[in-house]
Amino acid sequence: MFRLRDSANYLAAFLIILAVNFFLPRLMPGDPLTAIYGEEALVHMTPDAQEELIQRFALDRSLGEQFLEYCSALLRGDLGYSYYFNDTVSAVVFRAVPWTLLLVGTAILISALAGSIAGMESGWRRGKRTDRALLAGIMFLEGFPDFFIGMIMLIVFGVVLKVLPLAGAMTPYAGYTGLALVQDILRHLILPASSLALVNLGGTFLLARNTMVSILGESYIFTARAKGLRERVVSYRHAGRNSLFPVITHIGIQFGRMVTGALFIETVFSYPGLGLLIQKGLQARDYPLLQGVFLVVTVTVLVTNLFVEVLYKKIDPRLRPCISTTGRKLETTV
Amino acid sequence: MLSLKNLSVRYGKNLILNNVSFTLHRGESLVLIGESGTGKTTLAKSIIGLGDGSYSGDVRYRGQNLLAMDPEEMARIRWNRIAMVFQNVESALNPLFNILEQVAEPMIEHGLHSPREARSKAGDLLKKVGLSTAHFLLYPHQLSGGQKQRALIAMALANDPEVLILDEPTSALDPVTKEEIIQLLREIRKKCTLLALTHDLAAASRLADRTAVLYGGRIVETGPTGTLLSDPGHPYTRGLIRSYPDINGTKDLQGIPGRLSRPKRGCPFEPRCTQGIDVCKEAVPELRETGKETRRMVACHRGGIVPLLKTCELSAAFGRVRALNRAGITVFEGETVALVGESGSGKTTLARTVMGLQRQCEGEVYLEGVLVGKRGRDFYRKVQMIYQNPAESISHRQNVLEAVSEPLEIHRIGSPAEKKEIVKRVLDEVELPSDDEFLKIYPHHLSGGEAQRVAIARALVLEPKLLIADEPTSALDPSVQAKILKLFLNLQEKRGLGIIFITHDIALARKVSDRIVVLKDGYIIEDGPTGAVISSPGHPYTRRLLAAAPALPYGLGKGVPSYTDKCLSM
Repeated sequence: MFRLRDSANYLAAFLIILAVNFFLPRLMPGDPLTAIYGEEALVHMTPDAQEELIQRFALDRSLGEQFLEYCSALLRGDLGYSYYFNDTVSAVVFRAVPWTLLLVGTAILISALAGSIAGMESGWRRGKRTDRALLAGIMFLEGFPDFFIGMIMLIVFGVVLKVLPLAGAMTPYAGYTGLALVQDILRHLILPASSLALVNLGGTFLLARNTMVSILGESYIFTARAKGLRERVVSYRHAGRNSLFPVITHIGIQFGRMVTGALFIETVFSYPGLGLLIQKGLQARDYPLLQGVFLVVTVTVLVTNLFVEVLYKKIDPRLRPCISTTGRKLETTV
Repeated sequence: MLSLKNLSVRYGKNLILNNVSFTLHRGESLVLIGESGTGKTTLAKSIIGLGDGSYSGDVRYRGQNLLAMDPEEMARIRWNRIAMVFQNVESALNPLFNILEQVAEPMIEHGLHSPREARSKAGDLLKKVGLSTAHFLLYPHQLSGGQKQRALIAMALANDPEVLILDEPTSALDPVTKEEIIQLLREIRKKCTLLALTHDLAAASRLADRTAVLYGGRIVETGPTGTLLSDPGHPYTRGLIRSYPDINGTKDLQGIPGRLSRPKRGCPFEPRCTQGIDVCKEAVPELRETGKETRRMVACHRGGIVPLLKTCELSAAFGRVRALNRAGITVFEGETVALVGESGSGKTTLARTVMGLQRQCEGEVYLEGVLVGKRGRDFYRKVQMIYQNPAESISHRQNVLEAVSEPLEIHRIGSPAEKKEIVKRVLDEVELPSDDEFLKIYPHHLSGGEAQRVAIARALVLEPKLLIADEPTSALDPSVQAKILKLFLNLQEKRGLGIIFITHDIALARKVSDRIVVLKDGYIIEDGPTGAVISSPGHPYTRRLLAAAPALPYGLGKGVPSYTDKCLSM
């Protein structure tokens, strides 16, 4: 099903991104030590301590050696040490990753489901009132930047109505366990996830709608209708399934972008995910942290792509090799 | 079973179907033929209730009007009662499902069978249409066009429909596959009522007992398939047949002049018709029985293709020698009849007698149904003749302008300036230069081909309906002859010219004529469609003529490349 040649592509992409990931922050102006400890701290710092830090990150050696050092550390699962958080990067990053995955995953799930269903329905009823209402409404939402929607949600539900928490991913020091904990986390999730979903709904909706409209002109849709099938069956089984492909691609791309793109939303809601981490890392020029985050994001994107590719082969028989569908080689008959 | 009554379909301002009516009884088969754009697919779609556009009229299935039915009832009729095989083989199947699923789907969705039963029944159907079990689980992109067509047919048969609509069932297929599919459909025809829509005449002839010809959204001719195709009544039908590459046809392909248009009033075919009269522009002709046979209907104000010239028992004699004996020929509008025979067989006598240059001793000549007595100007306006030797038929004292405009002179048509205009136009038509210099040339300065063209121009200047050409090309070399013959055929296509083509060369007759009349010793011994006369001559004399016909001995048997022997033996 999934051949070695395809994985080789992913490996190559991974290595290239690794290199870019390493070199890019090094090219930024400024000195990491200065950035972390500030000018004054450095003045008071003993030359020994400074020397030790430089040694630790191999900052005195050539870029190539730094890169090798970086790679070998990576193999050991060591992403470096964050000056800012005073902890290993892997620990910091992996504390943030679950939250981002939860947030982005939920948002994607909502926007993909709602977007493609609304898109298909809209396309099916092209030109009718439902279609025009949906189109206008979603285009209106699409016009706002994500943090703006987040802020409005925050003000409406958090400040005015006071039904949902203002910030964070869970109530700190509440000591919830079990179901109460899950409930708490969900309550914190609702606002950021729905803001993120709303922002990303438009693209999926438009794509699903447009594909649906063009698919409806295909002969096999006419066949399906002529067969006397119910409308649901025609619109979902025949037209819907065929219009999903570009939507899936779109969602795959969206996912990778959202992992970092959630930055604004995470900032607005102080959600302790990767976005917030990137923001802090950037402010402090915390190279190891940034590299760690970027690496995780890269891997996420690659894994998503791989997943989409496998999914494609699952639902589109045209991408499957013949043998896997019939179990035997084709004979020439008729 | 299925009847359409005055069905009209309109897309915006365009009337796509206009008062189409027909009835299909149980077990009958009907094929609708017509060019693309004549409304075939629209018709199919409106029967199954999936057309867009506004409707009027009735589509009745077992007495129920399908057009007035609510969507749920209609959904029950679809596929259970009326199923369809689609035109667009390449995309009529959903790419995401294997064919077994797609064939089984209507049975499951209509609640006829459980999914398991439906699949096994779908398998049976696929087998029945000639697909092996190895193909059942294949997806459309893995199948050839013929296999997809078979799958579509199996799918159409899934719910045991009573009426099967076939929209261009064979047009996308290669001839061998086409033949197999037609065989299959002929099998199916025994159980279903069949309505086929196609532009493929050969397929039509094998699919249905009855044929209706659709033009401009109207039925212009109906009748039993066999006779309709062998003896078309409507000029449009004949045009379709003439442009169809038939393996038995010998005449060059001819098209139909003009292109499809939908005139606001009058006969839809009028703008392309060569035998139109005033009423054709005004009123729409109704389908009417013709005298030809029962169940044969033609929608034409002139009752179909007009017989231009008819001779009955025509005889002529030179003293005691009977040169022509009771000859009866008919020439229809836009048709070429070749008179073939050795010299002295009476061909020229027949032509001259028709022209009134030779006294007839018995028999009658009818022109457009009217008995011709003394030939006057009216007769010669409609019938003109061209002779074998152009150099002799044009007076050497007349230049081109004078020669060509002489008939206008005689019929007192136009002022001198108008005459010159007409002459120039006709010279253009026969592909001669029409500048003033050429108009002043005398015949002895013209080449043989040019002189014959001038003679043709002279014959055409009065816009006759019938042209009698007596060996018009036998004095010319073959390349000039080929051009002149092409000219004749083009004129015929454009103006609907009836031509009596006299020749002793049966090979030539074969290329230009619709019918061949063979004469011997003043008697007509054979008269039939050219293809039939050539492929199965009835009279020994015709066979002798054919055997003596010019043929190049080269090229035959060289169709097979020499290396195939080797390949086959390996």
